[in-house]
Amino acid sequence: MPNPYIPMLTTVKSIVSENKVNDIKTLELEFKKEEEYKNFNYIPGQFAEISLIGKGECPIGIASSPTEEGSIKFTIKKMGTVTTRFHNCEVGDAVGIRGPCGNGWPIEYMKGKNIVVIGGGFAFSTLRSLVVYLLDDKYRKDYKEITVIYGNRDSGEVLYQDVLEEWKKRDDINVILTIDREEEGWTERVGFVAPVVKEVAPSPNNAIAVVCGPPIMIKTTIVVLEELKFKDEQILNSLEMRMKCGIGKCGRCNIGNKYVCIDGPVFSLAELKKLPSEY
Amino acid sequence: MVIIMGIETENSEIENSMRETARSLLKEKKVDVIIGYTNGTVPLSSAPIMITKEEEVEKLIWNNLCYVNLAKYLVPRIPQLIDPEKGDLKVGIVSKGCVGRALIHLSVENQINLENIKMIGIPCNGIINRKRIEKEVGEKEILEVFAFGNDIVVKGKDFEQEFSFEEYINELCKVCKVKSPPVLEELAEICIGECQEISSIGDNFEDLVEFESKTTEEKWDYIKDTLETCTRCYACREACPMCYCNLCFVDQNKPIWFEKTTEISEIIAFHLVRAMHLAGRCVACGACSSVCPMGIDLNLITRKLEKIVKERFNFTSGIDSKKMPPMMDFSMDDAEEFMLEED
Amino acid sequence: MKNEIGKLYIELGEEFNFYAPIKEKGNLIFKRVLNPDDIVLDYLNSKVPPKEILFPKMEVLFEYKTDGKDVTEIIERTDLDEKNIIFGIRPCDAHSFVLLEDFFAFGDYQDEIFLKKRANTIVIGIGCNTPKSTCFCTSVEGHPFMKDDMDIFLVDLSEKYLVEGVSEKGKELMKRLKWLTDAKKQDIQKAEELSKQAEESFETKLDLKDIDKKLDPNFEHPIWAEISDICIGCGTCSFLCPTCTCFDVIDENDQYNNKGRRIRIWDTCQFCLYTLHTSGHNPRDSCIERCRNRILHKFCYYPENYNTLGCVGCGRCIQLCPVNNDLRAIIEKVNNIKKEKEEKISA
Repeated sequence: MPNPYIPMLTTVKSIVSENKVNDIKTLELEFKKEEEYKNFNYIPGQFAEISLIGKGECPIGIASSPTEEGSIKFTIKKMGTVTTRFHNCEVGDAVGIRGPCGNGWPIEYMKGKNIVVIGGGFAFSTLRSLVVYLLDDKYRKDYKEITVIYGNRDSGEVLYQDVLEEWKKRDDINVILTIDREEEGWTERVGFVAPVVKEVAPSPNNAIAVVCGPPIMIKTTIVVLEELKFKDEQILNSLEMRMKCGIGKCGRCNIGNKYVCIDGPVFSLAELKKLPSEY
Repeated sequence: MVIIMGIETENSEIENSMRETARSLLKEKKVDVIIGYTNGTVPLSSAPIMITKEEEVEKLIWNNLCYVNLAKYLVPRIPQLIDPEKGDLKVGIVSKGCVGRALIHLSVENQINLENIKMIGIPCNGIINRKRIEKEVGEKEILEVFAFGNDIVVKGKDFEQEFSFEEYINELCKVCKVKSPPVLEELAEICIGECQEISSIGDNFEDLVEFESKTTEEKWDYIKDTLETCTRCYACREACPMCYCNLCFVDQNKPIWFEKTTEISEIIAFHLVRAMHLAGRCVACGACSSVCPMGIDLNLITRKLEKIVKERFNFTSGIDSKKMPPMMDFSMDDAEEFMLEED
Repeated sequence: MKNEIGKLYIELGEEFNFYAPIKEKGNLIFKRVLNPDDIVLDYLNSKVPPKEILFPKMEVLFEYKTDGKDVTEIIERTDLDEKNIIFGIRPCDAHSFVLLEDFFAFGDYQDEIFLKKRANTIVIGIGCNTPKSTCFCTSVEGHPFMKDDMDIFLVDLSEKYLVEGVSEKGKELMKRLKWLTDAKKQDIQKAEELSKQAEESFETKLDLKDIDKKLDPNFEHPIWAEISDICIGCGTCSFLCPTCTCFDVIDENDQYNNKGRRIRIWDTCQFCLYTLHTSGHNPRDSCIERCRNRILHKFCYYPENYNTLGCVGCGRCIQLCPVNNDLRAIIEKVNNIKKEKEEKISA
């Protein structure tokens, strides 16, 4: 059993600025050791502890899908000390990585179902991973209809424009984009995520709704989904918590007797209702 | 089942009048809550208590083990002393001299509004140096503590030990000149009970002579030696009425000023920078040392700062509600010559 | 073997890191012995729990070298295989090692750093002839003479020790101590008497039966505000708790020497920063939630996850809380919630 605090080393392969304000960047990392990459078996919805060693470590959701081979991607918003340092790093820099951590989206449980992916703002990264995975030739047949509802404050905030274009071209996925306020040149929907979900009115029959976004969006969307008769087991959510170790030892990410880093970050609404509302 | 093990005192007169004052404040609705002391459940201790009902005033006590500075409970920390509808609660607070000083100084720093406060003044004759007694008793359990004449008697299973009260009170209490809360001319009605008029304090800082006669190396060794056992639980900071920053410098991470490790260099950095933040603000209550689980004595360091501020700026914290503390004020003729001196 | 503790140290001090109770600046703590004369044998319990030996205040996770900019090499710790003896530990603290081991080995990730040290440690404990007034191990399924969690168990018979090998590891070690003599019948009898006396002397008895089931439905309850109203939010209760394990992780970069290290330091759920998100959101924003978390973790979450209480009854938090926020009173308040409800129903 190796020491779980030892990071594996990767190199920054590419950096993409994702929005107009330039506070969200996607870093593509390549493992230095091939066998470490081979053993890094992850599923969509998991995260990893990535670090600029000497400057600090932080947990970030994995934005790439395991089907995208060769490297892994992280979308990082400039928030605190460590994320700011990630924003200042350059192609070729060394990045430490531990993981994959957490449970991830329950891709087995979701098989044979209609999938409704609802995302808001920057929290779309692990949803990107999920949708890319679902659309992969190898797995598409395992899932039924796929609907993506993705909201942002304005058009400049929309992440992953290249993959969104690809998705829109396909006929086996329904992509609905929305922004909070009218904007010149915007041809898609306008309005908050929750009312748009109400308009789209996905059917709860044999469906799973995957919700990820800022707390207020999650709250309002869940109300709409419940109105649409989605059951608690059909609504999945990914939580955020302050974390240090990512492996259930440092203590701080507990909600009741569960640790978000190992028992989550993905919880169904049914599971969340059993936990104290301390998140 | 909780056993009461406080100290038996000869303060019944003070206690009775304090309880009466508290009762009438609550009865006449002059205050919403009384913050005071109650018996501790372990020897050589006392516990703060908040009471809102008249019948609870019997729980209030006063003795030489009331070491917590209750002013701490008034600085913004948790929303407990604010009523969602009424706003700031009116608070009666059992005040020995240094609690009074802390309240006045906090008001100078605009942290509390004295108009919401009633100080129940207590004449304090010194707080027992509990950590020193514990250390001297050593690896035996103290089960009982009482005052006997001029002695503090501690008793355990098969021992009894006497400590002279004069000798075994906090070093800061030995040189204390503000036994009960200072009276403020402009806000005289705030202090009820035992209060005193103070215009200035004459202090010759004799207690520092020994420390000052040390060489720089010896002083450094003293600081290292004193602080070495710190676990960084921050009990000193959390008990200090003047440590009310929302985010302490040591917790800031943008930028990180100091690390939070228990390397001796980091421990010293924390304690000395904290002490510097207390220059001209420390009210010499000694709570920091009384609460330290490792029994670290921080008082000499803060006392030295008190002396520097007194000598350079003629300022004593917490006795005047109008005079600005030197570290918050700028004057063209501020003393500056000490800046490069070795002190 | 009372006079032979020095001998024990001389015999084993080379091979093992030998930890024992020592007085340092007036505090009794467990520390690596450098001079056997420093060992204190007449004591109640240490101020800082011996968990400090296996889970120190500050500990290196790994070290690294850089080329001035990027990390070039990660250096793992090599000292984890060193052998340790912890001498003089009390039954409550020995039991805390079992809880700590369960915790650090829980789930898919094993905390190698702790577990290796633990595996290389021999625990020589001593029964408590005189439990403190704040001790309550008998209320948490412990006992002042509980030897199960030790490798070698001693009973202080005042002029000598009764020595018993408990684990295989302990028995092996005892074989090497040739000067030990066979115990007499009356020695064993005396030890039994002492054990009984100690058990009967407990002043603190807490009703912790089904405490988890009492706590679970009362997550939202006014008593939490009551319990936390005098808490000042320091870390004393948890830093000096033998079962608290929370830590923070810090990188220390030494840019002038092209090296650095990642370390962990003690942290506690009592600190406001512990759960503070970068966004400013804090799930446990005030002392109310933080005090509640400490109690629930030990007396509700721990039983749920491990089927045992997360408290060994050492009483350190009671003795050392700066504002005397007594755990015994807290437990009593929790127990009374239930009664209030029952009374309401019966009325």
